[in-house]
Amino acid sequence: MGKSFFKTRVILFLTALLLCSMAGLSNAEDELNCVLCHKHRGLSRIDENGNLRLFYINEHMFEEGPHFRVKCIDCHQDIAKIPHDPAKKVDCTTECHLTEPSGQKNFSHKSVAEQLNKSVHGKFDTEGKEKKNVQDFPGCKDCHEEPLYRPLSFFKGKAGGISQRGISRCKTCHRTGKFAESFYKHVTSRLQKTRQPVEMVQVCDRCHSDKDLQQRHNLDDVVNTYKETFHYKAIKFGSDETPDCLDCHVVKGESVHFIEGRNSPTAANNNKNVATTCRTSECHDKASENLAGYRVHVTYDKDKYPFLHYMMMFFTGLMAAVMYFFLVLIILELLRRLFPNFSFTKSPDDGHH
Amino acid sequence: MQKYPKIVEKNGRRYFFRFSLHQRLQHIVLFTCVITLSLTGFPLKYFDQPWAAPIYKFFGGIHVAPTIHRTFGTILLCLFVYHTIYWVYLFYSRRILRLKKEGCLTFGNAVKEFLSQEMIPCKKDFYDLIDMFKYLLYITNRPPRYDRISWKEKFDYYAPYWGIPILGPAGFILWWRDEFSHILPGFAFNILYVMHTDEALLAALFLFFVHWYNVHYSPEKFPLGTVFITGYLTEADMIHEHYAEYERTMREEGLEDQIKPQHH
Repeated sequence: MGKSFFKTRVILFLTALLLCSMAGLSNAEDELNCVLCHKHRGLSRIDENGNLRLFYINEHMFEEGPHFRVKCIDCHQDIAKIPHDPAKKVDCTTECHLTEPSGQKNFSHKSVAEQLNKSVHGKFDTEGKEKKNVQDFPGCKDCHEEPLYRPLSFFKGKAGGISQRGISRCKTCHRTGKFAESFYKHVTSRLQKTRQPVEMVQVCDRCHSDKDLQQRHNLDDVVNTYKETFHYKAIKFGSDETPDCLDCHVVKGESVHFIEGRNSPTAANNNKNVATTCRTSECHDKASENLAGYRVHVTYDKDKYPFLHYMMMFFTGLMAAVMYFFLVLIILELLRRLFPNFSFTKSPDDGHH
Repeated sequence: MQKYPKIVEKNGRRYFFRFSLHQRLQHIVLFTCVITLSLTGFPLKYFDQPWAAPIYKFFGGIHVAPTIHRTFGTILLCLFVYHTIYWVYLFYSRRILRLKKEGCLTFGNAVKEFLSQEMIPCKKDFYDLIDMFKYLLYITNRPPRYDRISWKEKFDYYAPYWGIPILGPAGFILWWRDEFSHILPGFAFNILYVMHTDEALLAALFLFFVHWYNVHYSPEKFPLGTVFITGYLTEADMIHEHYAEYERTMREEGLEDQIKPQHH
C-alpha cells in the first residue's frame, strides 16, 4: 500500500508541476505550449555543420520582446506536429495573425524587405536579376536578432520594458486587455535607437570587415577606417551623440533599410549630398559645404591619398629617427658606465685637474 | 644682492643656480598641461587598448574628458604665446637696449646678439656632440664639457617649441571644425588630424622616455631630479652635466682653487 501511495503522490506531484508550468506560460502567445520543452536552458543540439544550436526560449524575454503577441506557429509555419522535425528558417515576410491597426491588414515585414531589396544591400539588381555573390548580401536576420537568441544579453541587466508611470497615462482610458502595453511598447521602442551605436557598428562590421567579401565586391575597409575617426571613438567611450553607420548612410526621413550605394544620386553619401548629410541639424549645422571634403573612410594608401601617405611617412620617419637616435644614445651612456676608466686613447686634458 | 645667487652653500654642500621661479612656474604649467593632454588624448588615439577606457573614465569619460583636453590645450597655447613674448622681451631689454645705449644697433649686430643667446644652437653644440660620441665609444676618456645649456637640453627645449605650434593650432581648428570649414577645405581636417595625433605621439615618446631619462631616470638622478622644483643643481650634477659653466661660475665667484675635476 505504501508503494502505491508513493506512486500516486509522485504522479500527482508531476501533474501539478506540469499544470503549474502550463499555467505560467498562459500569458505568452503559445497555444501549442512550445515553451513546455523550449523553457529548458540546455535544450540544444549540434547541427549538420557542427554548430551548437540553442533552442532555449526565455519566456520573460519573449514577453518583453517585439514579437510577444505573435504566436510561435505564425513564424514557424512548417511545424505541424509535436515533437517536431527540425524547423525551416523563418521567413520574415510571412503574414502573421496580427492585424495592422492603420490598414486592417494582416501584418508582415514585406514592405521592409522591399525597401531592403531596393537598397545597395538588396540581392537583386535593377533588372531583377540576382546579383553576383548573392550569398554575401544580408537578409533580415543577418542584422536583426530576436533578443531571445542572444543568450549573453541576459547578463547585461538591460531588457526592453515598460515605464509604469508612462503607461499609467494610457491606462486611464485603455483599461482592458493588453492594448496599452503593446501599443506603448510599439511606439516607445521606435522613439529611441533599438541598438546602441556601438552595437550598430558591430552589425555592419560582421560583413564589411570580412576581407574576402571586401575583395569579392571591391569594397574599402570602411568599418576599420571609420573606427579611426572621432565619431567612432566617442561612441566607443559611451557617447550616443556622434554618428554611427546609419546616421551618415541613410537619408534623413528614409527607412534605415534603404541604404543606397554612393553612386545613386539620392544616396546620403553621394558626393552631391554629403554636405547635406553632415550639416543635419543634430550634427555640423554651422559648417560650410567644405566639410563634405573631409574623408571619413580615409586610408594612407599611396595611390588614393598621396598627401596623407607622405605626411604619415614624414612623421613616422621623424619619430623613428629621433627615438632611435636617443635610445641608442641612452644605451651607449649606460654601457659607458661599465668601464668608466677605460678608453682607447688618453686625452692630454683628461678631465682631471 | 643678486635675486638668485649663482652658488648657494647649504649644510656644507654647494648648489648652482639654474632656473628662476618664473621659469620654474612656466615649466610646471607646461608639464601639467602636457601630462593632462596626454592622459586625455592618447586613450582616444588608442581607444581599443585595455588601458584606454579606465583612464578616460577617470577623466570623466566622453562627456567631460574632451573639455578637459581642450581647456589644457588652450592653457598650453597661451603658455607658448606668453613664453615667446617673454623671450622677445628678454632679448629686447637685455640685448637690443644695450646695443642702443652703446650706439651700435645695426641689423648685423642684432642678429649676432640673437645667435649668441644661450638657447640658440651654436658651433660648440656640434663639437660637444662629437666629443660625446668619442667618449661614449671609448675613443677618449674626456667627457664633453657642456656650458649652461647643453645640446640635449636645447633639444628638450625645442621639442615642445616645435611641437606646440603644430599640435596646438591643429587641435584648435579640429575643435572649431564647423566654423573653420568656412575657410578651409574638408580634406584639411584629415591633414590636421594626422598632424595633431602623430606629432603628439612623437612629443609624448620624446618627453616621457628621453627627457625623463635625462632628468629623472638616469643613474645619477633616479628617482627624481629636483632642479625643476628648487631651481638649483648640486655640485656633482653640475660637474657631470655642465662642467664648462661650473668652472666659469667657480672662477667668477672666486673659488678657483676649489674647482673639482670632471669625474667620469
